Amino acid sequence: MQKLLESIAASTPDWVELRYQARRTKEIRVRNGKLEESSSKQLTGVGVRALVDGVFGFASTTDLAEDGIRRAVAEAQSSARAAASAKKQKIAGLAPGRFARGTFPVQTDDPLDNHPLEEKLALVMKTEESVRNASDAIASSMASFAEILDEKIIVNSDGSSVHLFSSIPEFRVVAVAQQDGDQTMSMDSTSVHGGWADLFGIRTPETMVEDCVQLAVDQLSAPHAIGGNYTVVLDPGLVGVLSHEAIGHTVEADIVLGGAVTLDKIGKRVASDLITMCDSGKSEHASGATGILAVDDEGIETERTVLIEQGILRSFLHNRESAAHFGVEPTGNARAYEYSDEPLVRMRNTYIEPGETPVDEMIAGVKNGLYLKGLGFGGQADSNAEFMFGVREARRIVDGKIGELVRGATLSGNAFEVLESADAVGNDFLWSLGAGTCGKGQAAKVDAGGPHIRCVATIGGRQE
Amino acid sequence: MTDSHLMKHCQQALDSTRRHSADEVEVFGQTQRTISVEIEKADLQTTKSQQETMIGVRAFTNRQVGFSCSNSIVDLESVCLDAVKLAKASPADPNNVLPQPDPFEPVVGLYDPAAESYSASDAVKRAIEILEIAAAYDKRVIVGNGAISVNVVERCIVNSNGLAAGERGSVFSYYALTTARDGDQVSNMAFDFGASRTVAGIELEPVVRNACERALGSLGAAPGESFSGQIILSPDAVSDILGGLLLFQTNARNVLTGSSRWGDKLGQAIAHSSLTVVDDARLEEGVASSSFDREGVPRARREIIRDGELVSLFHNAYTSQAMGTPNTGHASGGARSIPGIGPTNLMVLPGDVSKDDLIADMKQGLLVTRYSGHADPISGDFSGVAKGAFLIKNGKIERPVSGTLIAGNAFDALRQLSGISSETARVFSSVLPYLRLESISVTAG
Repeated sequence: MQKLLESIAASTPDWVELRYQARRTKEIRVRNGKLEESSSKQLTGVGVRALVDGVFGFASTTDLAEDGIRRAVAEAQSSARAAASAKKQKIAGLAPGRFARGTFPVQTDDPLDNHPLEEKLALVMKTEESVRNASDAIASSMASFAEILDEKIIVNSDGSSVHLFSSIPEFRVVAVAQQDGDQTMSMDSTSVHGGWADLFGIRTPETMVEDCVQLAVDQLSAPHAIGGNYTVVLDPGLVGVLSHEAIGHTVEADIVLGGAVTLDKIGKRVASDLITMCDSGKSEHASGATGILAVDDEGIETERTVLIEQGILRSFLHNRESAAHFGVEPTGNARAYEYSDEPLVRMRNTYIEPGETPVDEMIAGVKNGLYLKGLGFGGQADSNAEFMFGVREARRIVDGKIGELVRGATLSGNAFEVLESADAVGNDFLWSLGAGTCGKGQAAKVDAGGPHIRCVATIGGRQE
Repeated sequence: MTDSHLMKHCQQALDSTRRHSADEVEVFGQTQRTISVEIEKADLQTTKSQQETMIGVRAFTNRQVGFSCSNSIVDLESVCLDAVKLAKASPADPNNVLPQPDPFEPVVGLYDPAAESYSASDAVKRAIEILEIAAAYDKRVIVGNGAISVNVVERCIVNSNGLAAGERGSVFSYYALTTARDGDQVSNMAFDFGASRTVAGIELEPVVRNACERALGSLGAAPGESFSGQIILSPDAVSDILGGLLLFQTNARNVLTGSSRWGDKLGQAIAHSSLTVVDDARLEEGVASSSFDREGVPRARREIIRDGELVSLFHNAYTSQAMGTPNTGHASGGARSIPGIGPTNLMVLPGDVSKDDLIADMKQGLLVTRYSGHADPISGDFSGVAKGAFLIKNGKIERPVSGTLIAGNAFDALRQLSGISSETARVFSSVLPYLRLESISVTAG
């Protein structure tokens, strides 16, 4: 297939990009003792992007024979031509970058295919059963496993030619507790770019069940959070969500050009000088980040892109089109989810660099505040960096000690202002997005994380 | 229809799965051709075309079930084998059943043969028209995002009970997301969407003009007033705030898992007696209409809420078997997934008072045309920002307001509903009126 795509690219006079993708997925989901789904999917095809007269056209096909792919090339070209006369802002060019060549296998000692379906199903059933039986208060229980295996071949007119593999398993647990008509829900998930053993490298199903059940049950008797401005300590889970959702999207070059708040902020202070934020195709500081990506879907080698360096905004995230527009090198952030999707600017692994403060010292310095752990239910963020996230687990900090659990807390504000208020950055680090999928018209598997951070934020809750 | 290529592939997959010793089989096939042209910042973006055939196989062995699908017809044999393997590894569930064949009359007007030859350049022409209509309407309006797409689908289903059905459909859909700018003033984003089953039915003008008018209407918005009281939701806002809750609570799956509060409320009042909600899967030319559901069960027009009383849930074959009630034919989804449960053309029936009359007897209130925030379908709690909102004073719309927060509970709001307009509008595949709600917290931003 790689040879075929290379020869089609070489014999096409206009610029063309060909991407073969074979995806195999599995999903197993058990709820309340019943198997809801056991399924497998295979999705194979070639996506073609053509650039003619300064306009992109995109076509995809499941016909993998040479004439089928050539028909898709012709279709992409004619789509581009159809729009060429009416398009106002022509694509002036595509920025050159580190055009990749070679084969990029998955780094794991324990491939998912070495483990039979029966083993995966048994683990899901056992885990769901242990949630169900953990407490009399449990009203509903769910466990699920999913895996996404991708093989891609990406070839373009500039000489990129890569054979790329990825393997992403995911595991989720949900517990719903109930008492006197009151229901509380808690969810936990983990995911890696790697194999079976890698998936449970940090958290085992047993610890996920224990945490999840405990939190759902404890919330039944927890008082509601009281709204107001607080000194908060954010765990790596919320630091990751803040980095990806509230900051990351505002530095995606297409969103920037659509009028994001960051447009004229390069070189300017946007956060406390303790904050350095990056987006990387590698799994920095800890292994197994879900968004590991050696080469992006434009055939460009990925890199560690420094977005904010000691509080100063340094870079946006680019594809080749936006890099040409801004006169910089592409950062390797062009990604397409399925063969029939065209590449868009997407994140990979977005994180804040660890600092120097031990976490217990950070908490000890808070007289009256909140310790906030993980993303709960509900959340949104705008291109002006205003955000609102549900908090999974919120505990009061009184005189430097973590205390009582409170429920219904939401974290909100302007993400840049929150990071401006950061006065301590932990010396720890965790990839923490779990089985998170980013949505932007199409899906993408990404990760996010960082250390603990102490800052000031608005907490939504009830009024006293 | 039963002699199409797709139907033959489905039959082959059925036979092959049986040979792999499945005792019951269902095969759903779907061939889809899509062309779309996107608009960004008042300019054309990438034009896309796609064609794909997907076959999904559910294999049953002793009430165990497995599902496998592929978009590669040459792999069909391995898909069939995979489905059986998955079934054999699964625990049995007595509610894993397939429907019996049941004859139906095809719904009229779902397919326009002219859609087959609709090309990328045809779509580009209509996308340019979207930009031209907006530019001609008012220079202050920009189409930030928009698109036009055509989707031509053939669906086939066969099962081992002898069920075999097929249908073709075409849908043209288009939208415009606009903002207006006047000096330093920037409006909220405004949106409108339209869809048609036929080439001749495409009506860009009203959709684009609506989106422009809404953006211009919110220019000059200033902070509003805080109060607890009446608000009017536009059809779009009804969908955003109440739609999710209505569908979650009436989904029989959620009743079975104990997460719906309406599980034991059939025959009881759950909303104000003025509210009637209908799901009409057989609406002529309806965007979400079809003659049979994802499991081949004939579609019907069904009342869900009648005069405030819950009269039906949404069922597929599994939930209908598990609860021992008739299947309502609401199995949703395509060949890529196991059947879910979902609505078709959902309609809140109009009242007999005009929107203006609803406003006329309000002393203080808020008209909300779009909503951005959280709406919890389980607890019913909602809180978020009213976008494109207008302050109502002494029976009149006084002025546009910005940054206004609204909060309340959807269960309470449905019970205390105090008005349903005679006007309705289409929101995607739903048809909804304006609703007036009571006792909502409104906080000025």
